[in-house]
Formats: sequence, C-alpha cells, structure tokens
Amino acid sequence: MSYLEIDNASIGFGPYDNRTEVLTDVNLSVEENEFVAIVGFSGAGKSTLISLLAGLIQPDKGEIRIGGKIITEPSPRLGIMFQNYSLLPWLTVFENVALAVKQVFPKYSKEELKEHVEKYVGMVNLLPALGKKPSELSGGMRQRASLARTLSMKPEVLLLDEPLSALDALTRAVIQDEIINIWESDKRTIVMITNDVDEAVLMADRIVPLTMGPAATLDDAFPVDLPRPRNRTTLNTNPAFRRLRNDISKYMVNLNDEAKALQASQAVVELPSIMPIDFSVLPLKPARGRRRAVIAKVVDRETTFFK
Amino acid sequence: MAEKTADAIKYKILRFLDVTGFTVFDPIVRLAFREEPKKQLESIFKFLIIPIMFICFCVWVWWTVAPNHKTKSGEVPTPDVVMQSARINHTFSEREKTKETDFLLVGEERLAALAAVEAEMESKSVILAELEARLAQHESNYAQVLEARLAPLQKELDEVKAKYDAIEAEKKVLITEAAAAIEAGTGTTEALLAAIRAEGIAKDESRAAESIIKDKIDAIRSDKYKPLETARLDVNAVADQIQFLKKRVDFLSQSNRSMKVLEAEETLMEYQAKLAKATTAKAALSEAKRVVRAEDSIERLEKQQYASAMTVYLQVKRSIFTVFVGFVVAAIIAIPVGILCGLSRIAMACLTPIISIFKPVSPVVWLLIFQIVVGAFFPDPESHPFFLFFNSLPFIGNLGINPALIFSGCTVAMCAVWPALVNTALGVASIDKDHINVARVLRLNFWERLTKIIIPSAMPLIFAGLRISLGVGWMVLIAAEALSSSDGLGKFVWDEYQNGSSFSFANIIYACFVVGIIGFCLDRMMIVLQRFVSFDESGTSL
Amino acid sequence: MIPRITRILSLTALTVTATSLYAEQLDVEKDTLKFGFIKLTDCAPIVIAKEMGYFEEEGLQVEVTAQPNWKQLLDNVINGELDGAHMLSGQPIAATIGFGTKAHIVTAYTLDLNGNAITVSNDIWKQMQENDPALDTETPEHPITADSLKPIVQAAKDEGKRLPMGMVFPVSTHNYEIRYWLAAAGINPGMYTSTDIKGFTGGDIELSTTPPPQMPATLESGKNVAYCVGEPWNQQAVAKGIGVPVVTNYDIWKNNPEKVFGVTKKWADENPNTHIAVVKALIRAGKWLDETDADGNLVNREEACRILSQKNYVGADYDVLKASMTGYFYFQKSDKREMPDFNVFFKYHSTYPWYSDGVWFLTQMRRWGQITEPKPAEWYAETAKEVYLPKVYLAAAKHLLQEGYIEESDIPWDTDGYKAPTDEFIDGITYDGKDPIGYLNSHTIGNKDEI
Repeated sequence: MSYLEIDNASIGFGPYDNRTEVLTDVNLSVEENEFVAIVGFSGAGKSTLISLLAGLIQPDKGEIRIGGKIITEPSPRLGIMFQNYSLLPWLTVFENVALAVKQVFPKYSKEELKEHVEKYVGMVNLLPALGKKPSELSGGMRQRASLARTLSMKPEVLLLDEPLSALDALTRAVIQDEIINIWESDKRTIVMITNDVDEAVLMADRIVPLTMGPAATLDDAFPVDLPRPRNRTTLNTNPAFRRLRNDISKYMVNLNDEAKALQASQAVVELPSIMPIDFSVLPLKPARGRRRAVIAKVVDRETTFFK
Repeated sequence: MAEKTADAIKYKILRFLDVTGFTVFDPIVRLAFREEPKKQLESIFKFLIIPIMFICFCVWVWWTVAPNHKTKSGEVPTPDVVMQSARINHTFSEREKTKETDFLLVGEERLAALAAVEAEMESKSVILAELEARLAQHESNYAQVLEARLAPLQKELDEVKAKYDAIEAEKKVLITEAAAAIEAGTGTTEALLAAIRAEGIAKDESRAAESIIKDKIDAIRSDKYKPLETARLDVNAVADQIQFLKKRVDFLSQSNRSMKVLEAEETLMEYQAKLAKATTAKAALSEAKRVVRAEDSIERLEKQQYASAMTVYLQVKRSIFTVFVGFVVAAIIAIPVGILCGLSRIAMACLTPIISIFKPVSPVVWLLIFQIVVGAFFPDPESHPFFLFFNSLPFIGNLGINPALIFSGCTVAMCAVWPALVNTALGVASIDKDHINVARVLRLNFWERLTKIIIPSAMPLIFAGLRISLGVGWMVLIAAEALSSSDGLGKFVWDEYQNGSSFSFANIIYACFVVGIIGFCLDRMMIVLQRFVSFDESGTSL
Repeated sequence: MIPRITRILSLTALTVTATSLYAEQLDVEKDTLKFGFIKLTDCAPIVIAKEMGYFEEEGLQVEVTAQPNWKQLLDNVINGELDGAHMLSGQPIAATIGFGTKAHIVTAYTLDLNGNAITVSNDIWKQMQENDPALDTETPEHPITADSLKPIVQAAKDEGKRLPMGMVFPVSTHNYEIRYWLAAAGINPGMYTSTDIKGFTGGDIELSTTPPPQMPATLESGKNVAYCVGEPWNQQAVAKGIGVPVVTNYDIWKNNPEKVFGVTKKWADENPNTHIAVVKALIRAGKWLDETDADGNLVNREEACRILSQKNYVGADYDVLKASMTGYFYFQKSDKREMPDFNVFFKYHSTYPWYSDGVWFLTQMRRWGQITEPKPAEWYAETAKEVYLPKVYLAAAKHLLQEGYIEESDIPWDTDGYKAPTDEFIDGITYDGKDPIGYLNSHTIGNKDEI
C-alpha cells in the first residue's frame, strides 16, 4: 500500500439534473518522499484534484487515503500551497506564517514561535521582507511567503497547486530551484500540479497526465529517470530529457485533439434551446470555463438583495 | 545626509497629506522642497488656483445676486452679513465667558474689575446719548423726507378721489333720473340698468386708480432709509453693550459668588447670635433651624457655578457629542448583526424584511417614536441616577445630558445603523474564497476564523459603511434637534428661524456653514480611520 | 390691617409654616429649576424674574429654555423635563379635563393680560376696505369687527372655498379670540365634535394650527389669509409689510387673561415652598414690568425689550419688540396708536389666578365643542378650582407684602376668585363667571346647553 492514495475517486458539480462530472475514477498512488507532478490543460480539473487531496472537498465516490487513513477534512499532515498565494493581506509576512505555526504548534513560546517563523522565512530567502504586508511584495516574494507558510507547518505531504504559473520565467526558475533544494534537504512527499511540461520534467520523479475534461481522469504515469541534481542549462541537451519531454508533449497534444474531435462530433447534436443568462447576478469573481453556465443557474438571487 | 533628512520629512508630510486626503496640497510641499518646481507650479495652478478662483466666483455671484432677491420676510444676506453674524455669535459666547469669570472673581481683582466696568459703562452711556440724539435727528429727517415724498402722492390721491367722487355722484344722479323716468312712464328699465352698470364701472375705475397710487405710497413707506437703519443699529449695539456691562456689574457685585457667600455668612452670624440669646425652647428651636439652613446655603453657594447660556460653541459641542453617542450605538448594533447576516443566510433572510422596511423610514418618524419610548424609561429625568451619573462626569457634564439628548441620539442611531449593517453584511459575505480555504487548511475554529479572517477581511467595507453612517447621522441629528429642541446646532437653526430677527437669515446661513464644515471634518476623520484599516492600496474615494 | 393679616394667615396656614413668615428665604424643596417658554413677549415675567435676579433672591437657580411649540412644552412639563412653563391659559384646563394630553396641571400665577392681535393679509384688508369705506383711511375707527370680512368669506364659500386662517393651538386664547371675533359678526368658525378634532365642522372658514413664528410666512405664502397670534408676530407682519393687524384682543375682550405659569399638580404637591418662592419672584417681575413714573409712562419696558431681544430669549429685533411692549401698537406703518394696556403684567390685579378666567375658558371649550357633553354649572366651578391655586398666590403675596416689595392694594386679598360680571366684549354680551350656562346660551353661534 502506498503512502498517499487516490482510490477510484469521482467528483462532479451542479444540480442533480444538470450535473457536470469533473473527475471520474481517478487513481493515483504516491510513495513516501516521492515528487509527483500532475500535468493537464487549463480547466481539466487540476485544482479540484488538489482540493480533493487536501481534504477541502470530498469525493462523491471513492476515497483518498494518507498512510492508510481516509482524508475527510484538511489536516496538518497535508500542506497545501495555493495557486494565488492566499496570503492574508492585512497581516505581515511574519504574522501570516506565525498564524499557521500557532495552529500547528500551539504550545510554542513567543521566542520559539519567532525562531520557527524566521527559520522558514529564511529558508525561502525572504527575511528582509519579514515585516512587510503582501501588498508591498512582488509576485515571487508572495509565493515564497506562501511557501514558507506551508512549510512552516511541517506537513508530511506538500500539495502545490500550480505554484509558479503566475510568475515570470526568471523568478520561476529561481523558485523551482528553491523548492527542489528544500525537498532534497528536507525530504518529504510532494504532489505538484502544473501546466508546464518542462517544469514537471525538471522537478518531478514521476509525471502523471490528467486527461481533458469533462470527466477527466489520470492516465498512466511517465517516470522521470533523469539523475539529480538536474541542471537546467545542460538538461536541454540531454537526449533522455528531450525524448521524455517530446513524449509527454505529444501525449498532451493528442489529448487535446481527441477532445476537439469529441467536440466536433457533438457539433451535429441539436442545440438546446437556452435563454441568455443575466450575468449581473453572478458572484463578483466569475467562475472560469464551463462552470460559469452551471453557476449562473445555481446562484441564488437573494444574495444580490443588498447590492 | 541633510538631504536625506529633508527627504524623510518631505515624505512624512506627503504621507500625512495622503492619509488625511489632502493630496491637493502635495505640489506645495514638493515645491517647498524644490522638487521639479515647474511641474509643481503647473499643478498648483491647475488644482489649487483654479478651484480657489471658482470658489471666489461663487462668492461673488452670491454677493451680487443676494441683495437683488428680496422677500417680505427678509433679504438674502450677503457674505459680509453672514460674517457679521458669526462675529455676533462669537461675541455672545465671549460675553458668557466674561460673565463666568466675573461671577468667580474675588478680592482685589473683583474690585478692580468692577471699577473698570463702571468707568466703561459711564463712557458708553455718553456715547449712547450721542447716538440716540443722532438717531432722533435721523428719525425726524426721515419723517420730513417721507412727508416730502408722500405729499404729492397724497395730493394726487385726494384729487383722484375727488374726481371719482364727482363722477360717481354724477352717475348716481343719472340713476335717480332713470328711476324717476320709469315712474313717470317715460323711461325704460334698460336705461336704469345701464345707469346702474355704469356706476359700477365707474366705481371699479376709481378703485383701480386709487390702488395704483396707494401701492406707490406703500412702496415709498417700505423703502429703507439707510442712515436711519445704521443709526438704529449703532444705538442697538451700544445699548446691548451697556446691558452687558450692567450685567457684569451685577456679577461683580451682588451676584458675585464670593459676595453671596459673604452675605450668607453674615446672616449665619446673625442667627448664631440670636440662637445664643434665645431663652425659650421654641425660639431656640427655630433659630437653630435657621442656623442649620444658613450653613447649608453657604455650602451650596460655595459650590455654585455660573449657569452659562447656550452659545453656538456649546451647541456645536453638544451636537458632536450626540452624534457620537448615536454613532457608537449604531456601530455596536450594526457590526455584530451585520456579521451575523453575512455569515448566515438564515439570519440574512430573517433580517432582510426588517431592514428593507425600516431603512427608508424618515428620521422624523423615528424621533417621535423614540421621544415616547425614551420618555417612558425616565419618568423623573432630573433625579434619574442615569442622568445624575452622566452629568457629574467631567468634560461631558456641562453638556446637560437629558432625555432629549438620548432620543436624538437614538434617532441618529436608528438612521445610521443601516448603511453600516448592510456594508458589514456585504463585507462578510463577499470574503475571498481563498481566505476561507486558508482558514480551513489552518483548521481555525469559529472564533479564530471570525477574528483572524472574517472581520479583518471585512474591515474596509465595515469602515466604508461606518463612514456613510456617520454622514447620515450628522444630517439626521440636525433635523432631530430642530424638531425636538434638544440643544445643539439643530436647535440653534430652529431658534433663529423662530426669532425672526434681522440677523436670523444670516445666522441660519452661518449655521449651514458650521454644520457643513463639521460634517466635512467628521468625514475626513472616518477616511483616516478607513485608510488605517484598509489593506489594499486602492485608496478611498473622497 | 392686623386683623386682615391674621385672616390671610388662617387662609394660608395649610401651606406655610410659621417659621417662614418673615423676610427670609423660604425653605425650598428644590433649588435648581428649569422653566420652558415659547418665544413670545408675554414670557417676559419669567425671563425678567431670572435676569433681575428675583429667582436667585428666593434661593432658586433657574434655567429657562425655549420650547419649539406648545405641545412639546406641555409634554416636557408632564414628563418632568421642565419644572414649569409659560402656558396658554387653556392648556392647564384642557390637560386637566383631558382634552388633548391628559394630565393634572395647575397654575397659581397669571402672567399677563391681552397681548394678542388678529392680522389679515394685505389683499383681505383691501377687500375689507372696499366693503366698508369707513376703513379706507389711514386711521380707521376701532374696534374693527368682522362684518366687513363676512362678504369675503361668503364670496369664497360660494366658490366652494373656505378661507384658511391660523391660530396657534386648539386650546389657546388665540383660537377662542378669533372664533369670538368671527362669530360676533355671524361667521361660523367651525365646531369641534367627538369625531372632528380639527374643528372644521359646519365652518364658513377653516381655522387650523400654525406655530407662532411661522405665522407671517404663512400669510405671505397665502397658506393663511388671517391669523390670531401674540407678539411680536403681528408687529413683524407690519414691519415686513405683509399684513395688517385689524383688531387686538383688547378690543375683543378688555383685559382678557392670556398666559399662565403652569406646573403639574404632582410638582406643586411635592414642592409647596418652591412653588411659593417661584410665584414670589414672578409677582416681583410682573410688578417691575408694569412700573410707571408719575406721568403713567411704563419705565422699565425698554430695558425689558433689550433683555427679551437676546437670542436665548425671544430673540426678535429690539425695535419690533418695542413696538408693542412700550405702550404703542402699529396697526399699519402709518397707524401707530397708544395702547398702554396692550400688555398688562401686573395692573388690575391681573396676576391673581381668577377662577372666573378658568370658567370662561371652559365655556369657550364647551361653546366650540371641545367639551362634547353638556356640563352643569357646578362642574365649571369645580374644574376651575382644581386648576387655579389662589392659595399659593396669596401666600407668596403675603411674604412680599411683609418684605415690602408690594403694597396692599396690589393684591385682591378678599376676593372669592370671581371677577365682577363684565360686558366689555366686542359684541357686548355680559359674562358672569358664576353663570356659565347662561353665558353659553347668550351666544348665537356655538353650542347651547339646557339649564
């Protein structure tokens, strides 16, 4: 039995009669201290998958286990790092990290707390910005702070939800290295979601592709046998690396074509009679992709009463 | 190094301007530190000079339009009259202060002040006599001028009257003749009717002609004779001063606290002497009672304070206090209820009808309701421990806290509660999903979630709501005070309206500016607070 | 002299203890008081008693505050916010019998006589002049009746309109005076009934409540074509040229009672000595206001006007206040007449709380239907006795007499509380306070009761 397991999990959203399956029959097992990357297209359900892993949502079917124990709610064993940092904007970097530390180590004295926070902030090279608020930081610094917060909780499994997708290429490279360094020096299990094949190949032990939605699922994994430390500059000339990257890319492109073909075949289907949706009733932050239509229907008009 | 400190100072000032919302003055500060002078001068011109010129233009329009707009109830005052009324109000408050110090003066100082005041009074009396003589002169002049202007009109009126009297008499003769003709059988009824109609027409004509002249006479009578008006104002001003000096003399002599105490002490001694001499039980008893009472009265007199009349400054103070009371009550209700509504859809559903129905209710209605409700709580307000306690506190004790203040405050609270409540609910309900996820991942319990995530995240909206609330409260308060005659700026305005004196209109406009400026300051205060709690850099709309 | 004093003593023995007989401060139960007033010249005694220090000499610290309207003033007295107030004579009576707000209010001091006038708009005045050429002079003969107004009312009624007129409060003297004046000329001012509390029923005109300070403005805007109000609001109309006072209430009823100093029964019972002390100060203020020199000129009125023109009191212009307070009255800008009795604050034993005054107001309330049921004559007398407290007044007067502030002739020591029957009304009907029913029945318009 593996350390972290997804066992036949399925999940969908929407009301009973108009349901969209997001993930169906997902299976994954991750060994202890393994670095697994999950690659997939936008909107394939990657974030849903990571939320399932983190225990933020429950699968409709199947189960997710860590060390044999079923995950039913977020647990300190699973540290999640969100795509858009999710730092609390009214707290400084120190306070953001300290808030997390206090939850996991409630018995810490003030000094211990400070020491602990500074250790992890130092680990991501953010000590000079300790007293700054997120709004005063750059995107890369924010992501580091977020990383420091996740690490400071000493989780057994680190769940990274497209941690670097919002960063520029240079910062991205720096933080990639940092994550790898931390993982190497302080071994633990990592599940990273990404849409960048290069990144996945560079960092992971194993790459699992997520098929196109709806009803996406995980396909067979591509093991990455490249030796570590992997050097970004030399890697490009490494034939093994190039072959692996090509394989995965090709696989992904095929996925996309299949999806297109699927859509094309559906194009002959008679269009349903639909009315325009009043988008003014949508929540402030519009949902992306297909979910928009679904949400528009479920949004309760009452919530807009006071606007 | 010096440059660096200068820069530090500059940025401190700029930061202060930014926080307080006075960024308009940025260029001046920058110019003072010689930062791109040309650019600064340009923006000073654009955003400072032009607006100032515009305001000057507005004042100029006011100045020129106001005197042309006359109603019978009074003239629209020009800015200088409004300034004068501000000065009069200031003088009034200064006089109250003087009286208070006079009341408390003792010993040599009192005597010196008394002598000075008496001397001043004497000199003023001389001036007053002069002014009165001048006024009498003007009055007789005016009478003459009026007579001269009216005489021709009066003559004309008499002539017109005589003329039409003659015509009417003529017509009357015609009527009699026509009637007689009918009797004689020579005339027709038509002729008689025509004659009567002709008389009616003649009468109407005469009235029309007379009323034209009468209107002219009225117009001349209501023309203001400037020298007379000014002379009258001068006399009134000096007479007022003398009145005031008289009062000062009173406060420096008989009504002075120390003098009253002295007098009471003398009485006490007298009674004590009588008590010592008392031989019968009855006499002793009655004298002893008097002694005790005299002692009590000395004690009371020693603690007596000057009872100041309500000046505009005191009223401002009381209004601000009242609005503060109402605002705090509103915030105490609105924030928890708003959070509850934001958290729970059920609570929201319960409160939605209540909020929707009561939000648009006019403050006047609330005032009347609270007047009755609050009145029921304090059957005997003067000796109610609640008021006794508050009126014994420093700073706010002299504001005279009474049920009127309470129900004005309640009215303010009732009207101010809605914006804060709705905004708080919105702030809580629209909390970022990511922050909720953070809370779940960190496994915060309900209380921690509330204090560490929900409230801080809703803070900017809560404060935006409170800012609206304070603005609404201030507006409502003035109306509430005017209606309930609870001391404050509203009452000041209402009293002025009721006074109907020649300065009333100017005083109302003065109050309008005072209310506006205080409202502006309160709003700025809230902006500063809002800036402190908001974590995004988007700034706050002014 | 001595036997009389003893008689008074026995009369007042209930309220006065033997020790407080001499020239010294009474043992007051409450020494800080708050009185309310409406911005009208007849609040003068209260203001003067404060400003001249008469209250202080009685050991009272008094604060006087302006009230926005009569209703609020009464409410504030009832709820204890105010200890006492400047009230319309009808207010204590109406409150006691429960017309409007029900509360037992009493009075021991009549503040003044007369002081009101009826002002019509310029337009109405012109029409009145047309109807009666005798009025078309600078100085028409007084009193002016409403006879010349009747055709105008009739003409408006024929057009389906009822002329709007203003008075200050349903139980105010102004209401009864303007009704009296109109009814004397055969104009029905409208009746109150149990369902019509506005008093419009059967009226030829519509008489409604308007706060005094708004009167000139309503005249100018045409909301009212005539009103009855106290000073300075008639002189204000003259000064601004928006109306013509046609008749003063002195001409409607010579020396009619106007305002009283009212307190609640509860307050009076709890603070008997304070009440006496207050009345003492008020009597002195009234006397000061009516002081005359050897030629009969009022000597203190100008100073009183100066004080009243302060903004925390009446606040109107000194010249406007002076116009009526100093013994003159402007009927038009060109028509200034001597009216030495326009404001009476002390003369003619005016400050005594006469039962007959109370009965007159009760008859008016019955006449116009505010009292909906017929009442026996005894009821009128009893009600007046519940409201008017001559005992307190006499106790105060006796102290003042001994202290030498007043003379014996100033006070009607021996009266039974009823003024002699008088026919000094504009319609010449005789009023005898002891025969209210007969008086009611002697009028053409208004309720009449079986004897």
